[in-house]
Amino acid sequence: MLVYVAGRMAGAALTLLCVSALAFFATALAPGNPAAVLLGTMATPERVEAVTRQLGLDRPLPTRFVIWLGETVQGNLGVSNLSHKPVTGLLMDALPVTLELAGLSLLLAVLVAVPTGLILAQKRDRWWSKPAMAVITLGISVPGFWVGLMLIVLFAVTWRILPSGGYVPVSRGLGLNLRSMILPTLSLAIYLAPALIRFVRVTAQSVLKEPFVDTARAKGLGNFRILFRHVAPNTWINTMTFVGLQLGVLISGAIVIEVIFSLPGIGRLGLNAVLNRDYPVVQGVVLVAAVGYVFVNLAIDLAYGLVDPRVRTR
Amino acid sequence: MSENAPAADAAMPGSVARQPRRASLLRFLMRRHPLALGLVTLFLIAAIFGPWIAPHSMTDTDLGAALQGSSAEHLLGTDPLGRDVLSRLLGSTVVAAEAFLIVVLIGGIFGTLLGLLAGGLGGILDLVVSRVTEVVQGFPTVLVAIVIVALLGPSLVNAMVAVGIAAIPDFARVSRGVAIQLRDREFVQAARGLGASELRILRTEILPGMIGPLVVVASFDGAQAVMWEAALSFLGLGIQPPAPSFGSMLREAQQYLSIQPQLAIVTGVAVTAVILGLNLFGDAISDYFDGDGR
Repeated sequence: MLVYVAGRMAGAALTLLCVSALAFFATALAPGNPAAVLLGTMATPERVEAVTRQLGLDRPLPTRFVIWLGETVQGNLGVSNLSHKPVTGLLMDALPVTLELAGLSLLLAVLVAVPTGLILAQKRDRWWSKPAMAVITLGISVPGFWVGLMLIVLFAVTWRILPSGGYVPVSRGLGLNLRSMILPTLSLAIYLAPALIRFVRVTAQSVLKEPFVDTARAKGLGNFRILFRHVAPNTWINTMTFVGLQLGVLISGAIVIEVIFSLPGIGRLGLNAVLNRDYPVVQGVVLVAAVGYVFVNLAIDLAYGLVDPRVRTR
Repeated sequence: MSENAPAADAAMPGSVARQPRRASLLRFLMRRHPLALGLVTLFLIAAIFGPWIAPHSMTDTDLGAALQGSSAEHLLGTDPLGRDVLSRLLGSTVVAAEAFLIVVLIGGIFGTLLGLLAGGLGGILDLVVSRVTEVVQGFPTVLVAIVIVALLGPSLVNAMVAVGIAAIPDFARVSRGVAIQLRDREFVQAARGLGASELRILRTEILPGMIGPLVVVASFDGAQAVMWEAALSFLGLGIQPPAPSFGSMLREAQQYLSIQPQLAIVTGVAVTAVILGLNLFGDAISDYFDGDGR
């Protein structure tokens, strides 16, 4: 177990180093001198050269990477070329929005998908199970952001019961905040759930073939009890792994949904930065998202032991 | 792009390189999976002949005829600049097919090569490839796209290169799995006994056995490619105006949801039909090579 934990942590550290190198070099190699961008079009060549030296841009790339890494570890990500605000502050403002959207959507998706997948696995011979699977295949094929647009058409344009976008911070009331998050959360959850349902169903089907299920049935336990007390716990590990793999989808999806619903999260921040060539912010966004991705995956790996006692003794 | 992990896992058939085939693929698809065949055929026709069968220009604007509903002149109405929606949807299908090709070529060539070498030769190479694949797979595609677009500027090719890179692990995982299954089989040992080099064995004995699973991965990742093209163009990271694309059309449609929701509805239905067709096609091919049927 110790070797396993150490290996996972080393892997996570290596991934982080690679991602930070990617974030740094991708933006450091981008065309255009940041010093010239910072000073605007009116700057004299001498001034540009002075600022280039001041920013350390004349040093060799590896040296700059090490310096940048040192600053980054201390939480200094530079200043936005666009708003001239510190990147760390911009990220801190945007992060809660994205975390709320991602957290709520994942919660909703799991709460709906896990029971649905389990039931579909057990009742695979009912008349409705085939149409249900067809709906799920359709769900996998529908682009999540289009679902968002259709929800806007229904709830904001036709029925006028929910806002079509915009974010209300929790500080102005939890109720208002949650109201502004209903449609975004629903869109992202509808995007995440079908693949999860399909996965849980396949996993549960293989668990249902295990001998202990026959034993439970022979003891006279009801279908419901067998499914949720005996089968479900044996699907947790696989489901967690799958959710970990889906984390990339969650992050990507959250970025798109933020843009549709005008939520001031990491995704919209990063997108505006890319379209305006605001490299420090691009670096920051890529770094934050990658760190989140790596740490949640690490947490999932380490949580296996909590969910399944068999992992601990191995 | 383990964005479709459940689907890609279905690509691993129980028994690889099952010979001989019972029925021709086309007849199998017509009998068992008519919807998959129909949608993919429609997609191909639209993608190949789209520019010729389009009733109007895809880019000519006519502000006097903006945001119309369906009519005899414009079957699916017009967009905010008065362009014919049906014609632009046909143009979008061409772009979707380009996205499909770029992603499947990048993912297919690099992924298959890596997986084939890793699974077939084993050893330290296998260890390295497996680890790297594990790390890269599932990494948020949008982030890769953001980095590439930040570096090279927004365009269809740049956006799809990002999606293609994300697709490499899928191809690598499946081809590695097949290679491991096959490398100690009798016919491979026979070739080895006859003095064939390992590289030759990979090319002539093992590669043909993974065609089926790779077609399955290509369908699923191709479906993802179409979805990502739409998403990235929607964000403005992909194809640039005035070229039509499902994503850029939806981006324009969003501003007029309250005036002309039909624009967003028909565009979404069209892109969903393409993605659904490719997903069902992947399921069908997997069914064909798996042989378990229903």
